[in-house]
Amino acid sequence: MAPDDRKRRFELLALPHLDAAYNLARWLAGNGADAEDVVQDAYLRAFRYFDAWQGGNFRVWLLTIVRNSFMTWAKENRTPRMVFRSESPADDGGEIADIVWGHQPRDPESLLLESIDSQTLTRLMERLPAEYREVLLLREVEDLSYKEIATVVSVPIGTVMSRLARARLALRRLWLSNESREAAHGV
Amino acid sequence: MACDRVRPLLPLLADGELSLTRRWMVSRHLARCPDCAAQLEDLQTMRTAMRTNLPFHQAPPDLAARIGNVLPREMPPVPIGRGSRLTLAGRTFAFAGSTFAGALAGVALTFLVMNGRADDAMTQAVLNSHVRSMMADHLTDVLTEDRHTVKPWLSARLDVSPPVPDLAPEGFPLVGGRLDYIDGHRAAAVVYRRDKHVINLFAWAAPNTADAGFRQEARQGFNLMTWRHDGVAYCAISDLEADQLQTFSRLVAGD
Repeated sequence: MAPDDRKRRFELLALPHLDAAYNLARWLAGNGADAEDVVQDAYLRAFRYFDAWQGGNFRVWLLTIVRNSFMTWAKENRTPRMVFRSESPADDGGEIADIVWGHQPRDPESLLLESIDSQTLTRLMERLPAEYREVLLLREVEDLSYKEIATVVSVPIGTVMSRLARARLALRRLWLSNESREAAHGV
Repeated sequence: MACDRVRPLLPLLADGELSLTRRWMVSRHLARCPDCAAQLEDLQTMRTAMRTNLPFHQAPPDLAARIGNVLPREMPPVPIGRGSRLTLAGRTFAFAGSTFAGALAGVALTFLVMNGRADDAMTQAVLNSHVRSMMADHLTDVLTEDRHTVKPWLSARLDVSPPVPDLAPEGFPLVGGRLDYIDGHRAAAVVYRRDKHVINLFAWAAPNTADAGFRQEARQGFNLMTWRHDGVAYCAISDLEADQLQTFSRLVAGD
């Protein structure tokens, strides 16, 4: 392929997913300026390795590179932002039977879950460990399948399942404790 | 199936990750176990709240241009070929030194027009238009959630009167409509949303053609559904999951 064809083909494929790339980077980095650096680096990398793209879902391929760029960036800048904890064996095992959603059915909690605004939700998401935040984003905002999330995050599918379950549970706990605290303060 | 076997499968059911057999087994259990059913409902409530309220950060408008500047530079392509309206638009953009995104959309379109095989020129045209609508910040000409505004607006300008059903109750709120060109036809583009995902529904007159059922296609990270009914060709495109786009298309077609 001629060089300019290669570039145009890349731009055609990659630029429509700029918002998705930026959104992920923004959530990972926590601010706009750093997210832009990460995305720019990711696009350069993606362009460099474009020939290695095997077809398939380009968005997934690109998001994988965005995440890798972020990890490099985080390491270079020694940011405390993304300290991915080492996984416990249970988390890697993919066993989710022991994760109890845990509450009595039809209780008022269900109602609380419905009433949350963007600001509060963002605040709660920011309090989650990074690896929880990213799987929730990839699932609920990017609408990726377990298999696609596994590709982006570079873990086995079983880990995606258990991590997603734990992430939801953790968020749910924060959510409910947030609500009850607000209720106690009469907000 | 017992509750303790079903519980871990509920997230997989909600995420659409269960096989048909397992889905059937779980549904049978749910039908007679209010506890598990309530738990699933709880999970789905939370997912809906997240999908609706998680902020989506859009890239700053000049980021595409900055990325374009740091990608290795090459000579600009010479636009040749069929001289479609879109190619011309791209050339004008580039010549005028307009925004990078605009120029790029034009260049990309030129490339596609030149390279697209004749039999899928339509698909490419739809894809181009979808991409352009998102990049050039020209998603809608008429921005309203009111279908009684969108439909007459489009009908007055086109030789087709596209269906603009109210699908908000099904989770596909209307965003608006715009005029577009698909493969040489004036086309209606009705824009819907599903959570953060944009759906472009194209409709254009295709007189003297037979009705055709749903055809599904995936291209460059987007899903497309095409069909023809009553002399009108339809194409829905989005980066939504294929089965959700199918649900959307069936609702539009009144299937």
